[in-house]
Amino acid sequence: MALADLCYRCPECGHDPMSGEGDAVWCASCEVRIERRRGRLLMTRPGDNMEFDIKASDLYSKIYEHGGPMTRATRADGTVRYSARAEVSWRVSERPVWHRGALLGFAESMGPAAPGAITVERATVSIEDGRPDSGRWSLLDIRAVQAASRSLQLSLPGDRLVQLRFLDDSPRRWEVLMRLLVADAYERAGRGRVVEFQPRIVTG
Amino acid sequence: MTWYAFFRAVARLVAWRLVRLEVSGRGHVPRRGPFLLVVNHLSFLDPILVAVACPRRIHALAKSTQFASGPVYAWLLPRVNAIPARRYKVDPQVVRTVLRLLEAGEGVCIYPEGERSWDGAPQPLRRGTVRLLLKTGVPVVPCGISGSYEAKPRWSATRHRARVALRFGEPIEFGVHDTRAEREVAFDAAAARIVSSLARLSGTEDAGAQGAEGPVSRS
Repeated sequence: MALADLCYRCPECGHDPMSGEGDAVWCASCEVRIERRRGRLLMTRPGDNMEFDIKASDLYSKIYEHGGPMTRATRADGTVRYSARAEVSWRVSERPVWHRGALLGFAESMGPAAPGAITVERATVSIEDGRPDSGRWSLLDIRAVQAASRSLQLSLPGDRLVQLRFLDDSPRRWEVLMRLLVADAYERAGRGRVVEFQPRIVTG
Repeated sequence: MTWYAFFRAVARLVAWRLVRLEVSGRGHVPRRGPFLLVVNHLSFLDPILVAVACPRRIHALAKSTQFASGPVYAWLLPRVNAIPARRYKVDPQVVRTVLRLLEAGEGVCIYPEGERSWDGAPQPLRRGTVRLLLKTGVPVVPCGISGSYEAKPRWSATRHRARVALRFGEPIEFGVHDTRAEREVAFDAAAARIVSSLARLSGTEDAGAQGAEGPVSRS
């Protein structure tokens, strides 16, 4: 977990990615620096010795105005392709949760993590970890997209759930990127506008 | 003493150490009978603070993976009245459990945004949650939290001591909407009312309430 998960590109100049460690990020291009101290986010612009407060929501709005995750995922010829390394784990079971004789619900268990990668293109997503569950799916086949604490979870056909813990990328970037691309795929396929991504994709 | 009461007492001490907590509107929580507490979600601290601040015992929905993340959580969570909710698919068992608890006159806490905010701004409500509120017909008590994002946002591993305000609002009576058609008719107005109540109570009216529509608008 780090500020770079939220602030994955520069809110000032749009440079992508931001460099960062823990509660601080800085831009290698324009040298703006943002740091969390005593619960506040403080921004310092290059050549300017003054720090000023910035709200995380304003920070994120600026990132989105620069194009969010799409700029880096879009190649010069206009095609979309983006990859990241991740620890991949698959849901292996669901067990009932009982308390005082009553069924409270079900809890899913994730299997062991293995090193792998995710690649998304305009119409497909591929997940490779060298295990049988690996594969390539149409974005139209994704059932749900959600970010967990430090990872991205995708529901796939066949009641499969995969969790990707990114080794050197932001789960927020991936959540937004997947949602934008899935929404785009749905609209291009004439399925309507996606209004909800979890617990299942719903169109309105 | 129940485990819930024990851990609530512990949580009270922990909360005192973690944040400067200010609570208002406790009197809006019904003294008896079923109710739903709907809370905006900014930090992993929120469930602890809500349990400490709420004058009645509550059951709270929690992500189901937490129940499978080790023997400590598997033992602890049911004893602090957490209910596992599967987030990657529609979970009818959660609805059954919530209805059963409400029928028994209990209070249930739901975070209708479904997850912690990344940037502290309000998030759209989950459609299934709004439908559940309409189906139950019990009083819905909105509760706005502010400050817990500053104490511990979801992207940070560190915690800072911050002032956290937790405000309970007046109960909202939506009435019972037994059929899906009735719920669909009442959906937009109910969602808007919840969103505006949470925004007012959490002090985020300026951030722009998004309602149940437009979950991709800020993504």
